[in-house]
Amino acid sequence: MIDLQGYGPRLLEGALVTIELALLSLVVAIILGLLTASAKMSRSWLLHKIGTLYTTIIRGVPDLVLMLLLFFGGQIGINMITDWLYDRFDIDIFINVNEFAAGVITIGLIFGAYMAETFRGAFMAVDNGQIEAGRAYGMSERLMFRRIRFPQMMRHALPGLSNNWMVLLKTTALVSIIGLTDMVRVAAEASKATHEPFTFLIPVAIIYLLIASVSEWIFARLQKRYNVGFGEADEWNN
Amino acid sequence: MVDTPLPLEVRDLKKRFGDNEVLKGLSLQARQGDVITLIGASGSGKSTFLRCMNLLEQPNEGELIVHGEAIRFKETRHGREPADWQQVVNMRAKLSMVFQNFNLWAHMTLLENVIEAPVHVLKKPRKEAVEHGRALLDRVGLLDRADYYPAQMSGGQQQRGAIARALAMDPEVMLFDEPTSALDPELVGDVLKVMRDLAKEGRTMIVVTHEMAFAKDVSSQVMYLHQGMVEEAGPPAEVLGNPRSERLKQFLAPKH
Repeated sequence: MIDLQGYGPRLLEGALVTIELALLSLVVAIILGLLTASAKMSRSWLLHKIGTLYTTIIRGVPDLVLMLLLFFGGQIGINMITDWLYDRFDIDIFINVNEFAAGVITIGLIFGAYMAETFRGAFMAVDNGQIEAGRAYGMSERLMFRRIRFPQMMRHALPGLSNNWMVLLKTTALVSIIGLTDMVRVAAEASKATHEPFTFLIPVAIIYLLIASVSEWIFARLQKRYNVGFGEADEWNN
Repeated sequence: MVDTPLPLEVRDLKKRFGDNEVLKGLSLQARQGDVITLIGASGSGKSTFLRCMNLLEQPNEGELIVHGEAIRFKETRHGREPADWQQVVNMRAKLSMVFQNFNLWAHMTLLENVIEAPVHVLKKPRKEAVEHGRALLDRVGLLDRADYYPAQMSGGQQQRGAIARALAMDPEVMLFDEPTSALDPELVGDVLKVMRDLAKEGRTMIVVTHEMAFAKDVSSQVMYLHQGMVEEAGPPAEVLGNPRSERLKQFLAPKH
């Protein structure tokens, strides 16, 4: 066995941070992605422009630059607001940008833009006849979204979604730069202290691989679930 | 005669796509039990007319009165639109549509398709909807296909299933948009038989079709459309048996 020289528990804690961060960011990204996809497909000129601006900016700027901008820039912005509140209304508050929250928001924001494109393409791939049938049977737009658009869109979205998730998972490694103690940061510190980089980096690589494998399995199940009814007729053996 | 409102009335309906006026003022009155067939060459506007009746297409002018209730419209930047979408949703629940391409929801089994709108739109108890749904599937000869997905069924089965889905709404009027046009010839008969039975039991139906035998035997009224206008209308014996206009004569003449 590899001797983790007492860093084992910290490494595990770091792994937990990575997983939490990745899952929460995924939730933020999916919500943002759905909202942005809807905005881009809406008839409203303003919503369409806002959606396009968001995805263009995010996709054109490196993740790391965005993260630093949001983390440091966000803190400066908040300080300016709290200073102004103090000067103006004598309200004294101090808000420190929490690294974890900053990480979730940044990664969520970045991947929301990618998810938006995935969802938009998936929504557009749904056969229009399916939507018309919903309309013709008195479904409201909301009901139609829940019962028809969403379940039928998912089979088109899942391959892209799973791809985005894998990239997102690995992007979480960047948060060590803004000071969040994820497993990469723990491993980096341990490597420096012990001069044995492989002892720590190989377990980290294995943990990432494990998470990725479990995800692959979950996505395969989801893909199967949302493909029901769309396979070849002879697959079912009448 | 009891004075009940007409199931469906359309007054002077006009529809434009850009500068192209495809419906030039069409009217229609469907009484209880009427079977009105709309015939005409492709591009005559018959499908568009039908799609305007449940507002899948928005007519630019004209009135739509469903069971005595006029649909309210308002002018917007995007043209004329219904003023109250809830009213449209309620109206659509009274008019069931059967599509050319069936449009059964692909991710649901046949039975799930049939109970979907009764449960989620009409808020019927699920158990009741399932019972009713199974009875309807039995009626169209598909009870043994209840748990199949649409992709596992033939076109004819899908279309009969789609008719069961339409019946499950207990509709005032059934709208059929070329229900047999996408079917292989040998599958057309089963679907037409179901439709004949529906006509016999007094369903109010509006049918866009190319099946002249069906129009002749079943309909109470035939409307021949040409370039968005009614060229001839009346009982089938008159319109199909003794066409007056040269165009309709040609349209009815056996091809080849």
